[in-house]
Amino acid sequence: MERIRMINKLKMHGFVRPLILALALCSYGPLTAAANLNVFVQNSDIGQGLEDAVVEVLLPVDLQSSFMSAIQTTVDQQNKEFVDAVTVIPQGSHVSFPNSDNILHHVYSFSEAKVFELPLYGSGELSDYRQLFDIPGVVELGCNIHDWMLGYIYVAQTAFVAKTDQEGRASISDIPDGVYTVRVWHPQSPEDGGVIEQQVEFTGEETAIVRLAIEPIRSSRLRRAPNTSRTRYR
Amino acid sequence: MFLLALLLPVLLGIYLFVSSENETYTEETINSYLELGADVFDFTREEHKNTLLTLTSTMTRDWGFRNAFGTGDPFTIIDAADNILLRSLGAAEMMLISSMDGEVVIDTKTQGFERLDGEWLELMNQAANSDNGLGDAIITIDDIPYQITVIPLFLPTPVAWVFGGFPLDNSFASTVKQSIVSDVSIVRFNTHPQGPANGTEISVISSTLLPADQNALVEQLERSGMTSQETQRITLTTGEYGTLMRPVYGEQGDALQIVAVIQKSYNENLENLENFRRVLIQFYSIVIAISLVLVILLAQSITKPILNIVTRVKRIEAGDFGQELKAKGSDEIVELASSINNMASGLAEKEKVRDLLGKVVSREIAEELLSKTIELGGEEKIVTVLFADIKGFTSLCENTAPEEVLTLLNNYLSTITQVIEDNHGVVDKYTGDSVMALFGAPISRGHDVENAMITALAIQEAMRELNEKNIEEGLVEIAAGVGVHTGLVVAGNLGSQNRLNYTVIGDSVNLSARLEGLTRKYNVDNIVSESCRDAVANFVFRELDLVRVAGKSEPVRIFEVIGPADSVSLEKKRELAVFAEALQFYRTKHWDDAIALFSLLAASVPEAARTSSLYYTYIDRISYLRERDLPEDWDAVFVFDRK
Repeated sequence: MERIRMINKLKMHGFVRPLILALALCSYGPLTAAANLNVFVQNSDIGQGLEDAVVEVLLPVDLQSSFMSAIQTTVDQQNKEFVDAVTVIPQGSHVSFPNSDNILHHVYSFSEAKVFELPLYGSGELSDYRQLFDIPGVVELGCNIHDWMLGYIYVAQTAFVAKTDQEGRASISDIPDGVYTVRVWHPQSPEDGGVIEQQVEFTGEETAIVRLAIEPIRSSRLRRAPNTSRTRYR
Repeated sequence: MFLLALLLPVLLGIYLFVSSENETYTEETINSYLELGADVFDFTREEHKNTLLTLTSTMTRDWGFRNAFGTGDPFTIIDAADNILLRSLGAAEMMLISSMDGEVVIDTKTQGFERLDGEWLELMNQAANSDNGLGDAIITIDDIPYQITVIPLFLPTPVAWVFGGFPLDNSFASTVKQSIVSDVSIVRFNTHPQGPANGTEISVISSTLLPADQNALVEQLERSGMTSQETQRITLTTGEYGTLMRPVYGEQGDALQIVAVIQKSYNENLENLENFRRVLIQFYSIVIAISLVLVILLAQSITKPILNIVTRVKRIEAGDFGQELKAKGSDEIVELASSINNMASGLAEKEKVRDLLGKVVSREIAEELLSKTIELGGEEKIVTVLFADIKGFTSLCENTAPEEVLTLLNNYLSTITQVIEDNHGVVDKYTGDSVMALFGAPISRGHDVENAMITALAIQEAMRELNEKNIEEGLVEIAAGVGVHTGLVVAGNLGSQNRLNYTVIGDSVNLSARLEGLTRKYNVDNIVSESCRDAVANFVFRELDLVRVAGKSEPVRIFEVIGPADSVSLEKKRELAVFAEALQFYRTKHWDDAIALFSLLAASVPEAARTSSLYYTYIDRISYLRERDLPEDWDAVFVFDRK
């Protein structure tokens, strides 16, 4: 329990504060009926689409259970990188961490959403590298051997989650009617916790369109984690 | 000696030049040592800092540490941190971990703050705003400045700040000293604007200096208050140190300033100089010793012969012409010695002549002759001439052996001459037993007549002594007669071109000789002329007679000098008065009265000498004259027509 509390203190992403979208929420369709969401995230630095931005439609808790559809997926390690760098899954999904390199890796996470460690293993050596992710949140993956290896698993509350492609586009369909928070997260987003949230009304068959721009912080620049307060030792 | 006098300034000059160069060199060496030392200090600090960064970066990525940190248990984390410090082998001495926004997680120094503040917060922001997330600063912990670095802890994204630090303590100072071979001190300047008068409190944080020197350093710094970055001289207990300061923290005027003080002793380098000086002095001693030997050798070859010559010349000056010089050495010296030898023999010859001359003529005349160009001719001057001879010398010669006569004569002449010279007279010539002496020629010494009078009396005294001696030796007694006159003479060299004689001539000389001859007639010891009597005041005279001598028409009044006025007895004066009365009777032809008085006077003369006394001379003359018809106007002048 203590351990969990500590990890809470260490978490990178709070998901607590709804944020008024400062940047352009360019347009969206009629509020009455919308079953689809199209999001375009622009890298405002270069004016092109921003890849690996995660878009999630947050449903009220009572609706969530109807839309959970856990999946099985893998985060591979190729050429000393996590592939994919950002993986999105609904909560309750399993992720396997195969090692496609001919050297050993030591995958770990100290994130609140999932603390785990896969001590040094090589390609095909470890069969038990499947992990269950049953708490929503961002899980930061590291390799103890290769400090630069950084991967993210975005554990969403429901299956209404997607990540942008190379053009910065992502779409989610079959969203029930209602006004929900649309959350956009990117590892390099300068916002607190890396998230931008927006209320969007979904009605019928309509497609809501969200456009936003993110100026990614340079990867070398450190981002201050919010509220990482923890037990102090004096 | 001259060589040494020349050599010493040159040696001294070289010594001073080398010393000054050496000191300049020392100064430069020290300066470069210090510059280098300060650079090495900075470099060491930088390196140490990098080591610290490397260390914290590496250690915190260690799985064990990550895992420990992952537990979130502060006791585990602090143990892990201590473990890192241990593993660092002293490179890191403290660790502090804070959250990304400055909440303190652990602090191995337990400084007691919950959130980073002040310099810690500044350092965190410095790192957060840097591209690589690194930062460093000097932060004082427990009064000791620490070099602090900070890096993020990646898990795998940054989750915390890891601060590491090492103290700039004695151990650090010693480490630097090992590299730079200079002393290192870390000094704090605390300026309190409302503090004490000087406002700055100086303290040594760490140092490789001895405690006493640390105190001295603080004192010196308090006095000068300097934090300048120029090299300066600071006197510590063991001597002067070149001192250079390097700021470590803060700037001049800040409330807290920490500087590194790099110091190098001048003494160490001066020791080299001292060694060099010693060698130089040894070298100089050898040079001077060699010079001395050379000087002595030179003295042998030059100075000694010259000194010999000087001695020789001095001896010549003193009248010693003997001992020929045997000169060795350079030609000039030999030539000089030979010239001096020639000169000496010339002088010796001249001296021989002078000596001989002094024996032939009197010393004064010899001087006169030698001092002037000798030429015939003379000058007129007033001279007192004295004649002395032995009464009855002719008959003496007949009855005495010639050798005895010669002895007598030589004794007599020697005595007379001595008396004359003692009284400043000059013997002009000897003629047989007769001596002619001059007073006032060739040079007058003043009181010429008086001297002549004294001489006349002294001759009689000397004769008495001589006779006493003669009697003892069985020789006959002799008596001397003296005649003195003073008057104008011609003095000069007389003779021919080849042979001449300094003498005086003239009537005065003749009269003087006549007066001497008259002593036999009057049976007195001396007869002096009237001009003599008139020339002196303090002598008692007896008028003897008025005579006309051969070759002179004018009558001459003649006197006998009795003695100095104060030495003549009353009895003698009475006798003289009686004699004067008798003479008056004689001159007025009162023969009987005259004879009576003369006879009375003669009665006091001893029987043996009575008939040959002055009184009997008159008694006999009166007997002769009363038989003659004297003219009415008889002038009482007695005529001696025989020479």
